[in-house]
Amino acid sequence: MKHDETLDALIERRGVSRRAFLKYASYVATLMALPPGSAAALAEGLAKAKRQSVIWLSFQECTGCTESITRSSSPTLENLIFNFISLDYHHTLMAVSGEAAERARVEAMQANKGKYIVVVDGAVPTKDGGVYSTIAGVSNLQMLEETLRDAYAVVAVGTCAAFGGIPKADPNPTGAVAISELSGGKPLINIPGCPPIPEAMTGVLSYVLSFGKLPELDHFGRPKAFYGETIHDRCYRRPFYERGLFADGFDDEGARQGYCLYKLGCKGPTTYNACATLKWNGGVSFPIQSGHGCLGCSEPDFWDRGGFYRPLPTPLGAMGPALAGAAIAGAALGIGAAVAARSHRNGASATTGKDKE
Amino acid sequence: MDLLAFARGPALTFALAVFVLGSLWRLIGILALPPWRDLSPAREGAPPDWLAALQGIFGKMIPHKTFLKGGMFAIVNGYVFHIGLAICVFAFAPHILFLKSLFGLSWPGLPNGLVFAVGALTAGSLLAALAYRLTSPVLKLISRGDDYVSWLLTFLPVITGLAAASHIGARYETLLALHVLSICAFLIWFPFGKLMHAVLFVFSRGATGIRFRHRGAQL
Amino acid sequence: MTAKTTASGIAYDVQGDRPDVERRDAALQAFVRDFAATAAIHMESCLRCGMCATACQYYVTTADPKYTPINKLKPFEQAYHRHVGPFAPVYRFLGLSANVGIDMLQEWEALLFDACSLCGRCTLACPMGIDIAELIKEARHGMYMAGLVPDRLELMDRTAKAWGSPATPADDFADIIREAGEANHVPVNVDLPKADYVITTAPAELTEHTKALTDIAKILNKMGLNWTYSSEGFEASNIGYINGDLELQEKMTRKMIDNALAIGAHTLILPECGHAYGAARWEAARWYGKEIPLRIIHMTEFLGESVASGKIKLKPIGETATFHDPCQLARRGGVTEAPRAVLKALGLELTELQDHGALGWCCGGGGGVVSNVRADPLRFKAFELKKQQVEATNTQHFVTACGQCRITLTLGAKKFKWDRKVESLLELVADNLED
Repeated sequence: MKHDETLDALIERRGVSRRAFLKYASYVATLMALPPGSAAALAEGLAKAKRQSVIWLSFQECTGCTESITRSSSPTLENLIFNFISLDYHHTLMAVSGEAAERARVEAMQANKGKYIVVVDGAVPTKDGGVYSTIAGVSNLQMLEETLRDAYAVVAVGTCAAFGGIPKADPNPTGAVAISELSGGKPLINIPGCPPIPEAMTGVLSYVLSFGKLPELDHFGRPKAFYGETIHDRCYRRPFYERGLFADGFDDEGARQGYCLYKLGCKGPTTYNACATLKWNGGVSFPIQSGHGCLGCSEPDFWDRGGFYRPLPTPLGAMGPALAGAAIAGAALGIGAAVAARSHRNGASATTGKDKE
Repeated sequence: MDLLAFARGPALTFALAVFVLGSLWRLIGILALPPWRDLSPAREGAPPDWLAALQGIFGKMIPHKTFLKGGMFAIVNGYVFHIGLAICVFAFAPHILFLKSLFGLSWPGLPNGLVFAVGALTAGSLLAALAYRLTSPVLKLISRGDDYVSWLLTFLPVITGLAAASHIGARYETLLALHVLSICAFLIWFPFGKLMHAVLFVFSRGATGIRFRHRGAQL
Repeated sequence: MTAKTTASGIAYDVQGDRPDVERRDAALQAFVRDFAATAAIHMESCLRCGMCATACQYYVTTADPKYTPINKLKPFEQAYHRHVGPFAPVYRFLGLSANVGIDMLQEWEALLFDACSLCGRCTLACPMGIDIAELIKEARHGMYMAGLVPDRLELMDRTAKAWGSPATPADDFADIIREAGEANHVPVNVDLPKADYVITTAPAELTEHTKALTDIAKILNKMGLNWTYSSEGFEASNIGYINGDLELQEKMTRKMIDNALAIGAHTLILPECGHAYGAARWEAARWYGKEIPLRIIHMTEFLGESVASGKIKLKPIGETATFHDPCQLARRGGVTEAPRAVLKALGLELTELQDHGALGWCCGGGGGVVSNVRADPLRFKAFELKKQQVEATNTQHFVTACGQCRITLTLGAKKFKWDRKVESLLELVADNLED
């Protein structure tokens, strides 16, 4: 497989039918809500696309994102997209290791200067000079800076990369930050999720390969096509929410009836992702369908929003001490005011007494 | 911290603290004044004070027919937005969860569509109340800044709640945050203006109930 | 005593020659002094809903928003927030409630005295149950201390201080009673050293309705009771209660009660007078400082009891009647059944006024309004309401149980050349005693 082989050629070599390819193109076009007629353009663009050099950096992460994206249940065109890209560096997946691996990264950077895409999963620790995560003796901070210098664009895959995720969760001992804080103005796409939906990843890559530009993004840098609507708005349990039918526990009658999980802390209403429509594992299910509320994993700071089982409308944080203090202060002020008014009264009484004489 | 987390966290804690502090300050400041002691012998058959107070508190919920003549609009509209607000606050599932987190009590809610319709009616009723206040010569004369501030801080939660429920105007989490912040503003103002009548009516009506029933007089 | 007008052209009377600031301070301090928790709760509870306006005869008949009952308290509301309320220090510090000026008090004199009969109808209309009438009385106290009271009321106040009654010197009281007895051929008891029943009077009986003095005597004689009038404590109307002269109110109260106790009476019968009922039945103990070992009842209650127990028997008149409930008796006193029972015993078929009992309209002259000539135009306006409702009943008798109501309604009838006599329940009973 050479860098200049087109996807067309690869497909032919793999024995995938033209029909199947077009079907995929229209699937992606539909997923991304592209205008009518774009499916053909997308197919054409994809067919002619050359292999894209991709450098995949993994920082403070759990490898879940890579697992999610690479472990498809059956060989599909999505795999093919991954196969098609020239994954020049991915220290989890690549066969070589050590110095050879690092050399591959540097070579790819030089060979595709200004054209390669950097994919990052994981947050970057910045505290104490970034010593908390290093690869081959190079801090993540430094590696990111180096790699980004000549990149065309950067894709932050997973919530850790997109928003800091779990490494950044309170109290954030390593000073972890999101890639967006370090991307220095490079075009950036965030594909958050813990992990993100594979189709979102491949859809975005297909779009970039085909049209040579970034898809439309929301204010968090997420492709609107996949992160434009809340889980809640597209949830199949939504009618139960509207009718006020809720599960009050994970094993109660409401849960068995498949009622809305809002009371159990579901974050669907404030979580923008495509889980409810694309679902997982080839469209089999998604958390809510499996009986658990949405954790809100594709949103910033999802780990620090008061607990996964705390219902959305409840206050955050412990307010007990504040309220107790306020109650004591209020009672004291009230008594003080009454005492002042009483003495004011008595004072007035004395004055009026004088006044009468 | 995003706006919603700010609203649900520090803003709400602060607002509730002010609410508690101000309400106790005001209530204790009044109730700790010297009591009005009635040494006159009660009318024969007069109810005990606690019952008289209850008669005042509940009896006053229904106006005398004769006052409907000049006050029909204020009475009917007053009923509409008070009941409407009560339904929106106490019968909407997310609100019940909010209250449960504060007081530990929970009860079944009403379907959202119904609550939404009631909310819309309440918003309309509040607008009508404002229009009445701005046009009635009596109300124009006696109204104070408090009346308009209290009106606005009652109206804002309703309108932001409706907006959040229908996703109009901004993203849901932003609308939700604005809704929570409007509640915060409501809570902060509550002890200092006439919103406090939600607590004071018990004492105000109760005191008159005791005074009048002691005399065997009708309330 | 001088009649003046404010810059905005509103008439007010002023007594004494103290500087304005001193008056203002006296008013506010006096107002503040008597602030109990109930008054404070009521000061805090107004929603500015305007319902009280629809209950007030002065607003309803003029449609002038300044007559909205709660508006009559405005200066004192300001003073309350500045000096008494729980946030008073905050109000003062931030300047949220302006210090009330003398000009405001002058302007409000007419609203507090001319345009309020203390009838308390607004109290029943208030959805928060604010006892506005009671607060007006507190405000009147402030006004009295500032020397801002209608001259006519102040004159009665001074007279009562000097004579023990605004109507007549105490020295002449026994003579008036005896003369009335002779004129009406009824044996009367006056100044007996001991008696079970002490009968008190209001100015109306001592001036215009002297027959009432012997009407009750006739009934008591008939019942064979041991009773007396007493020069030492006959005045029950208590002008201090109306004027906000609390010192006088206390003095008059003590005088009446102490005298009744000295005579060894077990019952003190109040005259057909509304304010006497408020002042003596419900407020006397407050000024007496403890529970009073004496039964204090209104004439109407006494008649009702006597009829109910069969101690007096009446000749049925067999005609139709309507009844005007005196505010202090019915609305603020709880006496609505007794007069109706008496009317029934008189064989009068009662047709109620459209608004009656606790919700009846005031005659328009209570709270000193009838004595305050400056308030005549307003009073006549209010009278028209009552006139309409009485006419609608199409009855032969128009009865009431308060001398002040009777005078007010008679004056109104005269003004509008209305051919209706306002009758006294006591008189009807006395005139129809069965032999």
